[in-house]
Formats: sequence, C-alpha cells, structure tokens
Amino acid sequence: CPSPGEGSWPRLGDAPPLQAFDNVEEDVEAEEENQGVSKKGKPLGRKRASAPEGVVKPVKLSRADLYKPPTNEELNQLKETENLFHSSLLRLQIEELLKEVKLKEKKKQRIDAFLHEINTLLSAVPETPETDLTDQSWLPKGVKVPFLQVPFGVKGKFRFLPPAAVKVVGSYLLGTCIKPEINVDVAVTMPRAVLQDKDHLNQRYHRKRALYLAHIAQHLSKEKLFGSVRFTYMNSNHLKPILLLRPQGKDEKLVTVRLYACPVPGFFKPSRLYPSKNNVRTAWFLEQGSPQAGAAEPPTPHYNNSILCDTVLESSLLFLAGAGADFPGMQAGVALLKVWLHQRALDKGLGALGGFLASMLAAYLLAKRKISQGMSGYQVLRSVLQFLATTDLSATGISLAKDAGSSLPSLDDFHQAFDVVFVDPSGLVNLCADMTASKYKQVQLEAKHSMDVLDDRTVDGFQLLLMTPKPLIRTFDHVFHLKHVSKLQGACKKMQLLHELMDRGGNYVAAALPFVTSLLARGLAERALLVTHSLPQAPEWPIGAEPPKHKDAGPLSFGLLLAPAFAASVLERGPEADRPEPREFQRFWGEKSELRRFQDGSICEAAVWDADPCADCQAPAAPFLLWFLSSHADIPESSICYTGAVLESVIRPVREPAGSGEEAMVSIVRSYDDLSRKLWNLEGLPLTVTAVQGTHPALRYTDVFPPTPMKPDYSYHARLKDKESLLPLPEKPCPAYIAPMKACCHFNPGQWPQDKEAIKRVKAAFHLRLAEILRQQHHLLCRPAATDGDIISDGYVFRLQVAYHREPQILKEVVTPEGMLKYRDTEESRQLELETLHLPYLTSSLHGLQQQHPAFGGASRLAKRWARAQLLSDSLSDECVDLLAASLFLHPAPFTPPSSPQVAFLRFLHLLTAFDWKNSPLIVNLNGDLNEADYAEIRNEFVAARPHLPVMFIATPRDKRSSVWTKERPSAQILQRLLVLALESLRALEEQLMDPLGSQEVKMIFRPPLDFYDILIHLNAKQIPRHLEGVDRPVKSFSRGMLKSDAPVQTLLFPVVGYDPVQCYLRELREAFGDLALFFYDLHGGEVIGVLWKPSSFKPQPFKASNMKGRMTTSLREELVTVPNVEAILEDFASLGEGLVRSVEARTEKWTV
Amino acid sequence: AAPLKLSHLAIPVKLSKKQQSPHFLYVKEHKVREGTNTTHPANRTLFVLNIPPYCTKACLSRLFSCCSSVQSVVMCEKPGPEEKPKTPKSKFFNLKTVPGFRVAYVVFKNPAGVQAAKSLSLQGPLELSSENHPVKTGIHKWIASYAASLVDQAELKAEVDTFMQTYDQKIAEEEAKAEEEEGIPDKEGWVKVTRKGRRPGLPRTEAASLRVLEREKRKRARKELLNFYAWQHRETKRENIAQLRKKFEEDKQRIALMRAQRKFRPY
Repeated sequence: CPSPGEGSWPRLGDAPPLQAFDNVEEDVEAEEENQGVSKKGKPLGRKRASAPEGVVKPVKLSRADLYKPPTNEELNQLKETENLFHSSLLRLQIEELLKEVKLKEKKKQRIDAFLHEINTLLSAVPETPETDLTDQSWLPKGVKVPFLQVPFGVKGKFRFLPPAAVKVVGSYLLGTCIKPEINVDVAVTMPRAVLQDKDHLNQRYHRKRALYLAHIAQHLSKEKLFGSVRFTYMNSNHLKPILLLRPQGKDEKLVTVRLYACPVPGFFKPSRLYPSKNNVRTAWFLEQGSPQAGAAEPPTPHYNNSILCDTVLESSLLFLAGAGADFPGMQAGVALLKVWLHQRALDKGLGALGGFLASMLAAYLLAKRKISQGMSGYQVLRSVLQFLATTDLSATGISLAKDAGSSLPSLDDFHQAFDVVFVDPSGLVNLCADMTASKYKQVQLEAKHSMDVLDDRTVDGFQLLLMTPKPLIRTFDHVFHLKHVSKLQGACKKMQLLHELMDRGGNYVAAALPFVTSLLARGLAERALLVTHSLPQAPEWPIGAEPPKHKDAGPLSFGLLLAPAFAASVLERGPEADRPEPREFQRFWGEKSELRRFQDGSICEAAVWDADPCADCQAPAAPFLLWFLSSHADIPESSICYTGAVLESVIRPVREPAGSGEEAMVSIVRSYDDLSRKLWNLEGLPLTVTAVQGTHPALRYTDVFPPTPMKPDYSYHARLKDKESLLPLPEKPCPAYIAPMKACCHFNPGQWPQDKEAIKRVKAAFHLRLAEILRQQHHLLCRPAATDGDIISDGYVFRLQVAYHREPQILKEVVTPEGMLKYRDTEESRQLELETLHLPYLTSSLHGLQQQHPAFGGASRLAKRWARAQLLSDSLSDECVDLLAASLFLHPAPFTPPSSPQVAFLRFLHLLTAFDWKNSPLIVNLNGDLNEADYAEIRNEFVAARPHLPVMFIATPRDKRSSVWTKERPSAQILQRLLVLALESLRALEEQLMDPLGSQEVKMIFRPPLDFYDILIHLNAKQIPRHLEGVDRPVKSFSRGMLKSDAPVQTLLFPVVGYDPVQCYLRELREAFGDLALFFYDLHGGEVIGVLWKPSSFKPQPFKASNMKGRMTTSLREELVTVPNVEAILEDFASLGEGLVRSVEARTEKWTV
Repeated sequence: AAPLKLSHLAIPVKLSKKQQSPHFLYVKEHKVREGTNTTHPANRTLFVLNIPPYCTKACLSRLFSCCSSVQSVVMCEKPGPEEKPKTPKSKFFNLKTVPGFRVAYVVFKNPAGVQAAKSLSLQGPLELSSENHPVKTGIHKWIASYAASLVDQAELKAEVDTFMQTYDQKIAEEEAKAEEEEGIPDKEGWVKVTRKGRRPGLPRTEAASLRVLEREKRKRARKELLNFYAWQHRETKRENIAQLRKKFEEDKQRIALMRAQRKFRPY
C-alpha cells in the first residue's frame, strides 16, 4: 500500500492535554439526557435550567432595591460614569485592569528598602588610580567592559571615583510603573573629575560610562544582596550599556533596578551637540592615520542625542512630576497607554515607543491643553491615541521647549537629522531619535484603528485594545524574516551608508534599517498599506561575558499589510517615455524596466513580474521583495525567509498541478451561472423560475477541494443501461469522488397544493419535467429523482432541488384539538429551512464577501482543512467554520481585515481559543444588516436564554436567536477538544513561522495526535476515493477510472456521483454504535478512523428491553447487569466494512469492568 | 452466558463462521394486556431484542424457520405497538429504514414455533450468512444500495401521477362538500364560517390571534398620554435610574466573573 511512512513525520504535539475528554463522563450523560428531552420537543428539562458555573445570569433585583431613592453619591457616580467613560462596564474593566498591573503598596516598601541598600553600597565603591582609557588592565578578570570597543584606540584618561549623586528617576517615582516588568531607574552621576574636556568626541564619554559601570558591577557582584548583576543596553542602543540589579531570593522577580551613569549637570556644552554637529571623526572611525584634508565631517545627530539624553534625566523627571501633580487621571492614562503599547510590541527594543515617551506625549498634550486635569485615565488614553492618529511626527515634529530661543536648534534642523521628531523640554533632545519612519507609521495606523474601535459601540473596546495581544505574525498579512542580520553589513556597503554607520557607532542594523524599509515601501508602492519591521532587541548578559555583537539581536522580521485591490498586480507602470522621470524609474527597476505600450495608447516605462502564477499567486509580493533586496541592498535571497503562503500547500488542488483552488471555483461559478441562466429561460414549464440559489460550498468559494470536471472511463465501471448510469465495480479501486453541487430552484408561488405529501409529489414532477426540458432544449445529461435531480454541465454535476417557500411552514402545522392552527418546528421542517432558506442566504452573502476580501475563501478552506485533519469533520458543521472565517473579515478589530489566508487562519485559531463562548454570542454581521440595537437585543436574549442555547452560539442577521449552524454540533466536549487543539496548533504554528532558522515544518499542525483513541480502524487506501487529498500526499495512489480532461470523449452515461464508501461505513457505524462510541475521521483521504468509547455507556446497567443495543448480560456481584459486547462489536467493525477495513486496532482495555 | 434469572432467553448469533464472538439475541414470548394490540397475536409471537445491524428481515425469518414456519417478521427501532403508516406505501417517498440494533416481532404460523425457538439458546452460535443466502456487507452492500438509489423515471412519473390524481379528486370533493354546506345552518342552527364564503372569518391560527392581541395593545397604548401627569414624569425618571442600576449590577457580576477567571491579566 503506497502510504507514506507515518512514523517519520513530526505531528502536532503527540500528547496535547486531553483531560478534556477524561472528565466529561458526567457531561456526556447530561448531554444525552438533554438530547433525549429536546428530541421530544417538550420544553427542556429543569435539570438544564440550572446554569453551570461561570456563566453570567440575568440579574434579579427586588423591587425595593430597584426603586429605592438614590443617594447623592450614587447619582454622582452614575453621572461621572456617563461623562468620563463610555459605559459603566468600561469603567469597571479599566479599574480592574489598573488594579492588576499597578504596583502594590507592600511591594513598594520592599523595593524602597532595596534601593536604600544600593545607595549605601554605591558610595562605598573604592576609587581606582588614573589610567589611559585603553589600558583596562586594572579591571579584574571577572568583569568585561560592556561596550563594543571598535575601533579600540581612543584618547583620554579614566579613573573611578564614587558617584557624585545617586537618584531615582523615571516611572517608579511617577507611579506609572506597571507590571509585568517593574523597573526602577537610578541615575548615578559621575563626578566631574572622571570626565575630561573633549569627552564628547569619538565615543570617549560612552566608554567612560561603560568602564564606570563595569567597576561598579564588579564590586556589587560580590554583595550577597543581589540575586543577579547583569548588563544590558539601554533601549537596545549599544552605545549605552546599563547595569541591572535584582534582589536576592524570592524577590528576584519583583524588581529590576537599572543603573544609568550620567555626567554631572552642565558638563557638556549643548551647542557642541546640536543635531548638525559632528563629534565622531572619520579618520578615527576608519582608523586612518591623519584626517583627509578638506573633507567635510558629516553630522552625527544620533550620537549627539545619545549623550544629550543623559544630561536631562533629572530634569525630565521633574517635568513629568509637574505634569502629573494633582492629576490621578494622568497616572492611570499613562499606565493604560503602556499596556496598549505592550500589547502591540511597540514598547521594547531600538526605536521603541517606550513608557517614558508615552508619558512625555501625555505631558505634551497637557501642555497644549488637549488634556485637562479633570479627565479620567480612559480619556487621557483616548486623547493620546487621537493625537497619534492625526499627527504625523515624521513630517511635522513637535517640541516641548517653552521658548523657541534663537540659540536652540529649530524643528527643521531636527527633521533634517531624524525620521521622527519629538523634542523634549530642554529643546535639545529628540525623544524619538531611534524610531524609524515606518515604525511611526505603524504606531499611527494602530492609533487610528484603535480610535475606530473605541467609537464603535457594538464591540468591547476594552477587550480589543488592552487585552488582546497583537504579535507580528498575527497582525501582518505577510511576514518575512532576515535570517542573518549580518547581511545588512553588505547592505550598508551597497547603499553607501558610511556616515550613518559612524553616527550609529558601527551598528549596521540601526544604520540600514530605515533605508531598507523605505526601499521596500517605495518598491511595493500601492500594493502595501504598511511596511514595518520588528524592533531589534539586545539581550541581557552576565558581567563576565563579552557584550553581544550587533548580529546577536536575532533575526529581523518584516511585516506587510497588503492592499487587497492591488496586492495581486504584477505590473508597475512608470512614467511616460517622453518625460525626464524615466531615468529615475529605470535606475530603480534596473533590468526589469522596459518600454510598454498600454491600452490607453500611452507608451510608458513599466516593470513586469512574469511570476509563475501558481507558485506565487498567494504571495505575488514575494518575488518583488526578493528582487529589491538583492539588487538594491545586496541581501541574498537565501537569507530571506518568506512566510507569506507556506500553508497553502495543504489546500492545493489534487488533479491539476496549477492554481490555488480559487481558479477552480471561479470556473465552477461560471458554469453554475451559465446553468442558472438556462434555467431562467426554459420554455414549457407550468410555472416560471424566480430564483436559482446555490448552496454548495464551492459556490461561496469555501470548498477545500472544489470539484473538477470529470470524464468517467466506461471500461472501469459496470453499466446500468436502462438508467443511463455507471456503477462502481467491487473488485476495482473505488472511482474518484464526484461531489454533486447543490442548488435550489424557486418557482413563482402559483397554485401549489397546501398539503405536505402533495407538495413532495409536485416537486418530484418538477424534477422530472425540468430534466426532460433541459434534455430537449440544451442536450444536458439529467437524472431526476424524487427529492432532487442531477444535471451534468461542463463536466460538473449539479444537484438541483426544487423548493417551495411555504413548505417548511406547512410541515410545521399542527392542529390543536380546539381547531387552532399552530406552528411547531419538526426535524423535517428544520432541515428544509436550513437547505432552502438559510443556506442560500449564507452562500450569497459569503459569495459577496469573497468579492470584497479575496483572502476569505482561502482562509475558510484552511480552517476547514485543519478541523478535518484533526478528525473533527463531522463534529463541526461546514457553515459554522465559514461563519467563523467570515467574522475575521467582517469584525477584524483590533486587526485589519486579513489579506492573506495564512494570517486569517492564525486569527481563526486565536479566535477559537480566546473567545468567551460561554458568556458571549459571536455576532457575524453579514452584509452589515445589524445595527446597534440589534446587537444589544441579541446579547440580552442570549444572556436570558443561555442554558438552552448551543455551546457555540453564532448569530447572523437572519438568525438572531437560535444559531442554526451550531445547534446540533459541536457538543460541549468536542468544543473543548477543539479549543485544546487550536491552542496547541496556534502555539506550534507561530513558533514555526517565527523561527526562520528552524525547519518551517508547518504541516505538523495538520497531523492529528492519535494517542488517545481507544480503537483505530485502519482503512484500505484502494477504497478511499479521496485518498490523494491527504495532508501528506501519497506518492502513488490508484487509478480511479477517470479520463484526462481533454480526452475526446462525450459523456453519455452518468458517472458515479457522491459515492464514498468511507462515508457509507461511518454512517452505518454511527447508526449502530452511536450510543456506545464516537467516531472521528478526516474526510480528505484519511486512512484511519479514530474510535472513542463513551464512558457512560460502559457502566453496567440493569436489563431494560429498550436499551439492549449491542449489549450482553453478565452477572456482577450476584446481580444481573448488561454491558457492551465489546468483542463482538470489534468484529462487527471489521465485518460491516468488508473490503474497506484493513485492520481494527484495539489500543486500550478500558472496557473491562 | 450468565445464569439468566430473566424472562428473556439469549440466543447466540454471528455473521459468519469467521466471526469469533457472537452477539446475543434476547427472545421471549410476546405477551400483551387484553385488547391492546392485535397485529401480533399473543401466543404465536416471539419478541426478539438486540438484532445486529447486518441482520435483515429475511435473515431472521430464515433463522427461525427451523422451528416452525414463520408467518411474518416486523422490525422496529424500539419495542412498542407498530405505527400505522398514514399514507400509502411508496417506493420513492418517505423512505425510512431502521438502522443499527433493532427489535423484532416474529409471528409463527402456529404456537409451537415460539416454544421451539426458545430451545435455540442451548445450541452453538447460529450463522446469519450462509453460502446459499449470503448477507451483503461492506463494499458489496454499498454498491448495491447506490444502484438501488437510482430511480426509474417512468415508474416515478407513474406514481406521482396517480397520487396527484387521487389528491386532486379528494380536494375537489372537499371543496364541493364545503360549498354545499356554505351558509346552511346545522341541526342546532349554527352556521359555519369558513375562509371561502361571502364573509370570510379570521383564520384560526396562532399567528393570527397573536396579531389581534398585538393590535389591541397598540391601540390602548396610543390612547394613553405620556408625561402628562407629574407622577408619570417621576415614574420615568425612577425607571431610568432603575435601568441604570440593573445594568450596573449586571456589569458588576460580569466583572466579578472575569476577575475570577483572571481575565484582567493583560499578558
């Protein structure tokens, strides 16, 4: 049998936690009881009405409580809530969040004590004799200078003297310090005697800082007080090492004290450090003997800024303290802002928007009177976001400097030197010096989206903005990694960035990053809304280790937000040929540029990507990017790892090697439209056709493997001449699966009979008549039946079902003894309503959605493929997955609507795990038909009726209160299992995708763990018609009796339609043993059926005539009881599936009572 | 098998020689209270439980024919009186098969069969599938049922036509009868009002009666003046505060719940 070696593949965590299934015994029973009750159609039992724990119940207040006269205080509270917050819920939520992240008073005392001890220790650090800066022999072996001393040689003398002052600065004193990382910043002032006149030149000051800290570190490391003494770079800027001190013992996690060395105030002359000044000499940097005569030295703004910000540590603190005085809302607002930034991974690394910057922004708004002291924390957050959303600091910078004194550099000077400008109160320091323009664009976009979320009353803004993490991989449509950042050295060379390198002290990552991102942004042009990058982060290291190199920051990741309208274009149209601009265009596009004549008659320069359409159709941006990076930045293709469309391989169609499946569905839709047009125009029908509505998933672009046109090979089948049909032969491999595509056909409601049996007959008559006419007028092959009719058109099989809109209503009719006509749902009416009412609506809505968001189909298909690969195909309805996928596009907040299936799939997994299924309805606003009032209504009714509703509740505009697609499935246990699997898959997948150096083995999340099934039924691949659709495509399979699509044969006999032995087998198994066991299978070529016994049915039960299915009697402690006849049942498994089952593998002995 | 202190006797059966462990049919003489059920005659009927899914009617009748000739076999999902089909049997519509494990009533031609059947429990396992009468399972069965699902169009057409003819006839008769009775008082002098007559009445449906109630309610609400008296004004204000309170309580509950689930840890 040509099956791949299963054992060798990595699978999804071979033993994910499965306790979910072990402790559900009682649940199973409870559920069965409920099913029994609901089937009878009686009101649900009292047992169920007692809601389980952890569910919001409707509030019942006594009349006296509800209507007692309000106190003044209460009125004030209510009024305040109304004025300052969105709603009372938001207010409570924010209060809880702040409680959670803020530092407790008790811990503060412990921290204070720790700080006092550090202070005394610092003053006791001994002096050292004066030596040359390069002579570091006085430093003991146990400590290494935390500085990359390149070039090594530098003038100047150093001696250690105890600090002139030790002061706590930063957020700890301001009360805006939040968990999880409590950092206390301590500024250690180096006395004047340590510094020399020309220290601002050539990194002398920076090296002194490093030596100063190294000496302190060496002394403190001997103290027992500290749990760890380590170095790191301040904001990952390698020019500025800082010392990290953590207390001993259980407090180690409590706090990190960060020691900054800074110069005595007023030591540096500000004018020497203006952005336009040079303080790193080219000759020194390149280690040339003497400066080249006449060459102008380039300005070194970043270098200057790094010195300047040490001089303003204390004054900034005073400034912020002033802003926060008598203003509790400020503290809360800044804390919230920090949480917001942290969730977006914007607050750490080189060029981050850290907590300090956030405080400064709030202070700026206060100074500009955009925030007033009466505001709440929520309003401060809102104002800051509003400001960020509307102000482009990369074009129009802002300054906190009070008087625009002529001596200070102007904003224009800053803009010349930096990408993003926000000048501090001293007028000298650019707080956003390291931020790249693209990072700021991201901040701005995030702020804009957040404002939209806050203004949208239908969503829980708190949850989305402050509680939902937005990791890079889940936020951006496409992500690619630069595996080895050292390749950026080449980029610097290619782009001639020597001056930037000098300015950044040789940090090629920081020097090249702004240029690489702007290069990408320019090349992608309108294809991408945003190009951004992860922030390089320096690690911590022990004091005895060498400081990390630039390449140690790990791989650099880039994220793209694609514009769906342009993402797929492969042509870049340049300027017209007779203008001067083409030069520039040609230079940029190099060999790719050529002259082209366009349809409008103009002749333009253009660059065209003749990318292989099948391999890259999901990621057309990829070849662009790779070409740019290699031709303009000298970054070889091999060091880029592009993870835009890695997952698509599992949903690539089987039969044709080309395409992603979308094309196949487009051609199906075309053929379907053609057929429905024919139906509309049929002549000779007693009633006219009013509507043809498709219901098959392929007609809403969400079929995992859409049907392909088939031509059966007659010699491979048996023939049933009188019925014009082919039959499978038992001894041959099962013929390829041909899925019939269902569609409903409505006629104008003329004189239909009003009796349910008669309607069925009329429908059958219509099927017969339709077939006859289609055969006559269009020569189509038709095969009518009582409930539907099959039609072959263009090689596809359509299954047409005539529908009468009042039929469900008539099926519901019940006449009471008093003669009153009542309507009660029945199984049949519900089924019919699903097929002829809900499904057509869903299909047309989702078809529309696909037109707006081309990634929707792919996303839903991936999600389905995943659920099925986890053997849950029958435990979750297709439509439910479609709706979940649709919700990602209709309600993307806090993200943007996904433009690639992969990112949508990641969010699908996250949605499953993060959504509070117990307490909230998932509302999918198809076509935007629901308004705010509808939302509230759905939520209220949901809370009121929660115990009677399905475990997974999805509401749509036409289905506000019953969640038709999740009514039967999933059950509570399956949902639980689904969530566990989703969590595990998400973790595994993100790990794979974010690790460019790893194996990128993403298929593992599609290989289910098989450990926990009691029995595995192995199937014979010969009889699995969809064998080729498996996740790990079998190398060889069987010929399945289909001719090539271009074979010159006309199909005159009906092929075998909808025949899948495995499905027949599963149906029989469930019918016979559904009470005893659950059966799990992957519809797409699974070779194994997993069986799980239901523990409840294995409890010995007394003999009952109505409950003897598959059981046998036995005596247990003198009592006659019945238990399942397991041995016989196992043999039944084999004999029911004769010809299909290869072996039945029993794996547990659980049933032995 | 265990010593049965049970009114039922266990008869071991298996599909074929290959099968090792048998299933057990539990049989007993069918007894009913006087006059409840006449389809299964009391003394000649054997009640059989736990019939495996692959065992067909024919199988069962063959199995028991060794005791005495079998008159009829009725299989159903669970024990109980047989439901009379309301509509005439059809080859194409309302097809209902009883799947899985079932129960059956086997009616023998004479009462001796029942007693003889009881003795089967003492023998070795009986085989359901024999060379002469093989039971189809697996691929063979599915192919056969696929073939059976393909309908003969002419036959279907004929059946539909006859059904519709009788239906039309029935409707026509009913209409004629209704027309005849239209406006004619019955014995006690009551005239039946129908939807058809000169003055059609309201249809007697749930929806219609609800609509009437709704209309009444609206009418009453229209007549009422809002905020006319001072007490009404007070009342609205009170109601407003009560609503806010209720919302607040609900929110508090929600928060408490989320706190308990540690939902406020942002990361």
